[in-house]
Amino acid sequence: MIKVNKKETVEWREGMTVQDVLDIMGYIYPQITVTVNGRLVQREDYHTHEIPDGADVNVFHLAHGG
Amino acid sequence: MATQTKAGPKKIDININGETTTVVEGTYLLQAVLDAGYTVPTLCHHKDLTPDGTCRLCICEIELKGKKKTVTSCNYPVREPVKVITNSEEIKTHRKKLAEMYLGRWPNVEVIQNIAKICGATDNEKYKSELTDENPKACILCGHCVRACNSFMLQNILGYAGRGIKRHMTMPFGEVDPYCVGCTSCAYVCPTGAIQITDDLNNPVDPELIRNHGMKVNAEMATLDDQQCRMRQVGTANIVEVMDAYDLLPVHNFKFGKHPDTHKIDSKVMKSDYFTQGAADACWLGCSMACAKAVDGFALKTGPYKGEKVVVDGPEYETAAGGSNMGFFDLDYIVEYNFYCDTYGIDTISFATTMAFVMEAFEAGIITKEHTGGKELKFGAMEEALECLHEMARGEGFGVDVGQGVRWLKEKWIKELGADSNYLQDIGMEVKGLEFSEYVSKESLAQQAGYSMAIKGPQHDEAWLIFIDMVNNQIPTFEDKAEALYYFPLFRTWFGLLGLCKIVWNDVAPGDNSKYPPQEAAKIPEHVENYWKFFEGMTGKELDEEKMLLQSERVFNLQRIMSYYLGHGTRKDDIPPLRAIGPVTEEEYLSREERYDKQMKEEIGIDPARKTVQEKLEITRDHRYKQYNKVLDAAYERRGWDNNGVPTLERIKEIGIDIPEVLAMLENGKS
Repeated sequence: MIKVNKKETVEWREGMTVQDVLDIMGYIYPQITVTVNGRLVQREDYHTHEIPDGADVNVFHLAHGG
Repeated sequence: MATQTKAGPKKIDININGETTTVVEGTYLLQAVLDAGYTVPTLCHHKDLTPDGTCRLCICEIELKGKKKTVTSCNYPVREPVKVITNSEEIKTHRKKLAEMYLGRWPNVEVIQNIAKICGATDNEKYKSELTDENPKACILCGHCVRACNSFMLQNILGYAGRGIKRHMTMPFGEVDPYCVGCTSCAYVCPTGAIQITDDLNNPVDPELIRNHGMKVNAEMATLDDQQCRMRQVGTANIVEVMDAYDLLPVHNFKFGKHPDTHKIDSKVMKSDYFTQGAADACWLGCSMACAKAVDGFALKTGPYKGEKVVVDGPEYETAAGGSNMGFFDLDYIVEYNFYCDTYGIDTISFATTMAFVMEAFEAGIITKEHTGGKELKFGAMEEALECLHEMARGEGFGVDVGQGVRWLKEKWIKELGADSNYLQDIGMEVKGLEFSEYVSKESLAQQAGYSMAIKGPQHDEAWLIFIDMVNNQIPTFEDKAEALYYFPLFRTWFGLLGLCKIVWNDVAPGDNSKYPPQEAAKIPEHVENYWKFFEGMTGKELDEEKMLLQSERVFNLQRIMSYYLGHGTRKDDIPPLRAIGPVTEEEYLSREERYDKQMKEEIGIDPARKTVQEKLEITRDHRYKQYNKVLDAAYERRGWDNNGVPTLERIKEIGIDIPEVLAMLENGKS
């Protein structure tokens, strides 16, 4: 199980990447920053950066609009 | 809610001069080579402009799938693994010859001299001719100005004329173009000083300071907007599909946050079928964001101009989302109500939110066709809603009632029809008499408070905190929310005080904004600084966060005190309807049952298993209003207001507005 934004939980599976988590959460926002266990993940690594079980994933949406 | 997000770019290994390095797919080769530490001369390249490849100094040799060729590295995007040679003898010879030719024509221009030095070109005389220009500030035909005009300002005021040796820079027909707004972008990017700014009509104290920070925004728009908010392509409508994906798009009087037909009214359809390319109406000519869009040649179906083709300004996000709120999932009707609201001088948000309220009341049987003049005003009744709009403008029929807004309708129906007061108060989306703008705020306490506490009523002019709060969970405690409800309303109010547009604050962000921790990143520090520099450049007075907030806080508190004096500035005026903070109806609860049940169990500590939906609605209502009131308590305290939401004497003195007139308003307030 991994925690997203200290609120939502996502079932962990072997080989799960940042992109997988974004897909599961439906995070389509164009301006996001992702950290896994406090470390920044570059956008170009979303496909390959694997998330360990129990990880604390933070997906920061830089709010525009409003 | 599994949604396929857009795949990010991949990484590619390339070989530069025998060394392997990794680049992000799409990186221009010149950047990759420079990042790897090699020197490659360029003349036409500029970091803020799209590459051109005209000076040909940056050529490199590449080997791709066994084939060798020479490319201009500045505009060669890396898509596959390639071998690159940056400095072969052939390339060096080529660059030296080019540099000698440049030197022969513009021997005294500093950037040319620097290029010549890098390329080993020392002979000034070799290509000297009748074209040689001894001016150290000569135009070297690099084209920066042409590209800045186009990519910063979406204009083509400057261009090349003549061919071969007669090529030169000019405006159309060699005359000063009246469409040039004097944005100074061309001078900013000119590497030689050939273009000079000679006047500043508004007499700013420091025009250079303003220009430099303004150009940063221009460059961000030119290079980042396509990957960020697409403001130039579709304007604020870019968030229609985003709001739907996050369950925040108002549907059927804010009951729901998404709808299966949103794809029919999203920004993709607007762009492909409605917005006319290049026809942005430019709310301020010279703005590089150019977010205002227009629909040309739109054939009206209803109203006094039926059958005529017109130009429609918009639709923006709020207008489209007002459409979904009324159940309009047809852009033809959204553009039509957009046009007529503009033409009649009616706010699209107030119209849509009021109409959505009317539709829910109609579906609930509170009003019938007898009251609506025979109109079947259910959600999605587009023709009927438009007829109400026309009646409103003509001053006839049911449209006159609708034109009075949600608060007036509630009072009328309670008084004259004996309608259920509690139900109407729960679904009537207004605070302080103003209709809510088009976001579903149920899952964000900070958004609920930001809207409901706003001086003029629930709209985003003060605080728009949905993502920070609901999605990012960045401000989890009441104190965190109170801090956000202190800073953002004051910051946004400050735009209003100065007559500045908010859009270039957060509808584009610096590429490296993520270097800040989230709490700071949300403020977009570099863009806040831009505004301070604009202020300083105009007035000569330096600003920082404390000074900016104080400017704003004085006015903000004065406005609150005036509201108080007029009877609208206390806690009772900051309380939202239930629909803004949680589900009202069983249908609504059941539509998000899993979410609400989970919250009941985990946050309230009550097991929903044996509860009826009605019981669960009551528990949820009670809990959410309690939470809301805690946010109010914390926000009032942070602002220096008392428990009733009235600015304290102590705070008024601290911010220096304790003048007799203000004190008299507090003394004689009707609230």
